[in-house]
Amino acid sequence: MTNVKLTEEEKRMLEGEQGKVRQICMEYLVEMCEISGAERLVDLDGTGDMHTPGIVMSPYYGISIEDLRELVAAKEHFKIPTFADKSPFPEQPPIHGWESCNICSYRQAGIRQDDPSFHAKAMHKEEFDLLRKLGMITTHSCANYLTMTYWPTVGQHCSWFESSQIPYCNAVLGARTNFDGSFATCFLGKAPYYGMHITENRYATVLVKTDRLIHTDLEWDVFGYAVGCDVKCDVPVLTGTAKPTTTQYQKLNSAIHTGGAVEMYHIPGSTPEAPTLDFALGGRKPRRETLIGETELRRAYEYLNYHTSDTVDMVYLGCPHLNIVDLMKLTAKMDGKKVQIPMWVMTAPWLYHSAEELGYVRSLANAGITLMSGACLAAMGAVPEGVRCIAVDTAKQANYVTGCYPDDDVKLQVCYGTTDECIDAALTGRWRGEWR
Amino acid sequence: MKKIRLKGRTEFPGIIEAEALVSSMPLQGFTNVNRDKGYTTERNHPLFKICYEGKVLVFPSQRGSGGFLRYGQGKKPAAFIHTVASPLNVLCALQAHVPAMTDFEDDPMKYIETGDIVLVNADQGYIEITKKD
Repeated sequence: MTNVKLTEEEKRMLEGEQGKVRQICMEYLVEMCEISGAERLVDLDGTGDMHTPGIVMSPYYGISIEDLRELVAAKEHFKIPTFADKSPFPEQPPIHGWESCNICSYRQAGIRQDDPSFHAKAMHKEEFDLLRKLGMITTHSCANYLTMTYWPTVGQHCSWFESSQIPYCNAVLGARTNFDGSFATCFLGKAPYYGMHITENRYATVLVKTDRLIHTDLEWDVFGYAVGCDVKCDVPVLTGTAKPTTTQYQKLNSAIHTGGAVEMYHIPGSTPEAPTLDFALGGRKPRRETLIGETELRRAYEYLNYHTSDTVDMVYLGCPHLNIVDLMKLTAKMDGKKVQIPMWVMTAPWLYHSAEELGYVRSLANAGITLMSGACLAAMGAVPEGVRCIAVDTAKQANYVTGCYPDDDVKLQVCYGTTDECIDAALTGRWRGEWR
Repeated sequence: MKKIRLKGRTEFPGIIEAEALVSSMPLQGFTNVNRDKGYTTERNHPLFKICYEGKVLVFPSQRGSGGFLRYGQGKKPAAFIHTVASPLNVLCALQAHVPAMTDFEDDPMKYIETGDIVLVNADQGYIEITKKD
């Protein structure tokens, strides 16, 4: 018997009185409590976000498609508004633009993402038809917050997944989530009560200073990565920066949870739980101070660049998925131009539709650019055959994409810099980026 | 033989004794781990392509994607020992179901070196390190 404090209703679920699916979900949540040290569960009043289809949560806890059918027949629903992040696992197919996605799938040579029969299977239609009937909103983006249109409000308890979204939920929206979005948390509307659900744990413990004003997109991206590497799993308060734009928040959140595992941070005067520095620190002195200045930023920039040659074979933008303003800006910049090497751009599926209406998809295609949605190169685990050096504008992709090719015979190199430097590389096939 | 005992918090129970593999850097999952081969594929990482299968994997903390859980799939370590806990370890332990411990009375990174033999007694909440020399 577990030491986790459960309500009478939760005990009944655990004992199977409310059906097999609730029992499995409750067993999974109780095990999460035991591992994390949470003493109880919290009832969620915010939103859920999960990798999908997600009905097999671990080798020990999962439900079947038959279970899903029975839930639908019984007119069951997810307890909280639940969103699907990223395209379906494990194949991670692009939702749009897959026809141009000439890469092998999920490290399986010979099975390609642009094969129509593979794509149809990888979309897991039957599971998603059922999940949608249970109420899942299939946004399919690693930057779900761009298209959710229904955000948790300050203080609400949520259960989200996806590394860049965890700090977005906590720091930018002021809602409360651990990294635990799953079928169990969303279906039951409950999550282990520890970590970011508890006010005390949300205050900053590390004061981050900088001697360079952080205000460009690249600076925010490099800064986020370097801060993550430095503070690891702690809650930092970032001082000496400008106020980030939406694009810069996207970059900061993905970079800070790549360099480290930062679930929460504060920017006094910008994030909702930091009206002042003192408030962000909970009225206490920081446990330590750290400088992420010119030296540390340059070091992170050089670490993220990993190339011996300046010849670029491919450009990839859209990590995290591009927002509509970035798509507008990119379209304007590419007007009348033509790329010399493949250039793929990833956005959220619902924004792809907007980009079509706005004429961006056609304009980008005229410039030789392929707009896709829902996936990313690292998630698909491959680059097109023959590509040996790729240019990207985000720390997250720069950090992960080389992991797909660790062997010397096919080693992948990566050029990392600004969006404009990536565009220049697409137009010339050369990398001319530098830390300025 | 010198033995060092450290008390800690159990994440996942079980008792196992095996050789330690220590990562001086935080570990990262997703594309930067290969669960079929059982090694990290993060470039410039001290454990790059060094197999952890069957070892007591010791590391200061974890970083990055929820794909950290891949350390708990396929060719997995015999046990996980780490200084700092986060939800990433919870996700990993849910997959792995092997002994896992954290929150020690003193930082295990100060005591354990690669090649030491570590008894992980997660049922009783301690580890016992036998130095290789």
